[in-house]
Amino acid sequence: MGADLVLALLDAANFVLAIILVAMGLMVVFGMMRIINMAHGELFLLGAYALLVVQGLGGSFWLALVLGPLAVGLVGWLLEVLVIRHLYGRVLDSILATWGLSLLIRQAVILWFGPQSKVVAAPFDLRLDIMGQPFPAYRLFIMAVSLIVILFCFWLFHRTRLGLAARATIADRATAEAMGIDSRGLDRLTFAFGAGLAGLAGVVMAPLLSVDPQMGLGFLIPAFLAILTGGAGELMGVVTGGVVVGGSQSLVARVASPAVAELVVLGLAILVIRLLPNGLVGHFRQRR
Amino acid sequence: MRSGLMLAAGLAFGLLGGTAFAQEAPVKLGAVLPFSGGLELFGGQARLGIDLAVKEINDAGGIQGRPVEVIYEDNQTDPRTSVERATKLTRGDGVIAVLGPITSNARDAMLPTMERAKVPLLYATNYEGGACSRYVFAFNSVPNQELAELVPYLAENRGKKFFMFGADYVWPQKMFETAAGLVAEAGGEVVGTEFTPWGVTEFAPVVRRIEESGADVLLFALPGADGITFIRQAEDFGLLEDVTVGFLGFSEDYLGAFGEGKAQDMWVTVPFAAADPSEGVQYFTGRLAEMAGPDVVASHYTMTHYNAVIAVAEALEGSETIDAEALVDGLEGLEIETPTGLLSIGAEDHHVTMEMFLAHTVGDGLEVVDRLGRLAPEAGCN
Repeated sequence: MGADLVLALLDAANFVLAIILVAMGLMVVFGMMRIINMAHGELFLLGAYALLVVQGLGGSFWLALVLGPLAVGLVGWLLEVLVIRHLYGRVLDSILATWGLSLLIRQAVILWFGPQSKVVAAPFDLRLDIMGQPFPAYRLFIMAVSLIVILFCFWLFHRTRLGLAARATIADRATAEAMGIDSRGLDRLTFAFGAGLAGLAGVVMAPLLSVDPQMGLGFLIPAFLAILTGGAGELMGVVTGGVVVGGSQSLVARVASPAVAELVVLGLAILVIRLLPNGLVGHFRQRR
Repeated sequence: MRSGLMLAAGLAFGLLGGTAFAQEAPVKLGAVLPFSGGLELFGGQARLGIDLAVKEINDAGGIQGRPVEVIYEDNQTDPRTSVERATKLTRGDGVIAVLGPITSNARDAMLPTMERAKVPLLYATNYEGGACSRYVFAFNSVPNQELAELVPYLAENRGKKFFMFGADYVWPQKMFETAAGLVAEAGGEVVGTEFTPWGVTEFAPVVRRIEESGADVLLFALPGADGITFIRQAEDFGLLEDVTVGFLGFSEDYLGAFGEGKAQDMWVTVPFAAADPSEGVQYFTGRLAEMAGPDVVASHYTMTHYNAVIAVAEALEGSETIDAEALVDGLEGLEIETPTGLLSIGAEDHHVTMEMFLAHTVGDGLEVVDRLGRLAPEAGCN
């Protein structure tokens, strides 16, 4: 029983970290820019296809791990300049516009690569033995990447001048500009950074998934749920929400079934949003 | 003067030559298939078969001298769009039959429209059974045809303990109902049955539950991308080393989605396997390659949709009128030669008796292990 519990918790931690990895870029863009980016799943998709292209050209996974986020970050930069910058302060319009972008990117991928599922290879195909049960080593790698991304984001936004400037811009754009902060430059950088994180998640998660033009959708819903339950607007929210959504989904699926797990997760999310409209973290921060 | 005459003669000749076919109004068929929205792969497979059949019929002079024309409509993998498209085809274009769709929910949504318009729906995807109407013909398999030989074979050769895992909708549920009876008949035991919603990306908990159940065989009915994701993750956990997978609904569409040396020895019963060395199948895939290029992938969806169009031509060959009612009458009880052998359409249930093949994945292909002969459908009509 002890071993079963440890493994169940390990699987849950694995899924939690995967969700946070995918949701982080979404959170950065929403938290810092108030843009609900419906195209986040498609930026994730582009990351996965970047890995496909690099491996197709004979490059290694590690090369794609560097190039993928950079390429998707560049796409994010262009999207900000062409589309997103016209949408600040218009939440509903930003949903519609980014949803349109998501359709555009998905159809472009279908035209370019075809609708069928593709193969990408994990950099290593190793299986560990943890308490007598198999555990793919690559999953540990995903957990490590996610932890690094979480720590990096906290450091970037809470411990650097750049992060301070970004948060100042959110709090009061006019005053921040008066202090000499280049708010336009920060917008572009933040969106490109959020896109790059989506690309990184795409590269890292692709070996576990069916790589096809619809793959962006699968993670978008849990990512949004994590942000909503945790509390939109700050990094701690996405981490907390990831733990609640991912943890409950994985553990309930382990003891009951995936169908029951989905019911529980959605029920939980509705409950949290109804009782604590600012999310778990938002609620407790207000009370403090 | 002379040049004028020649011009006139030339024109007349050109007109004659050009219109020998076009004088006759085309026989119009509609097709409502997914070309976007998630299942475009299946839509493409179906279209390939339909295009080949139309080409062959027209090359041979059409139906009673009239060319066949297919009007394709994209249903965007969506039931409501399917109904709109079906209405457009039956009311606006005056088609005498509609081919497609792929999903059961789209088919069920279209059915009232087809019955009201009195135009037959030629459905050529494997499904759960029970779609019975004067205006529906099913050209692919129903659960008993996919399972009746597969389950006993796996029980005999791989072990008696079965775990069933599939997507949470009607097709897997009906498949598993039929399978449970067959497992019991084969002296086996069902050690677990589970369903998953669509869009799940993490299968570690389910993989562990299957492992824990001590199953020898996994009957698996999770089509499309979700199924590919599951198989990948199950392979990472080493599940496929202990458990043999019976992959319901597997076809050549999936090949190449798993990577070299992966997803080997998964079992399925299909009405067609492209790698089948038999003469009929090789001739069929050869003609497809001629039409669509040498890299074309063919699956049973390609052949069943091809069969449906060929059946239309044969049903109307001796008919006095060419319309929807004549087509329905002609299709009932019709027998046609297909790439895999003789196919008979039930006069009562409108489902097909056809050759079925036991196959498994080897290398990057689907290898036929046993020819099961002609299997009759249990259509589920009451």
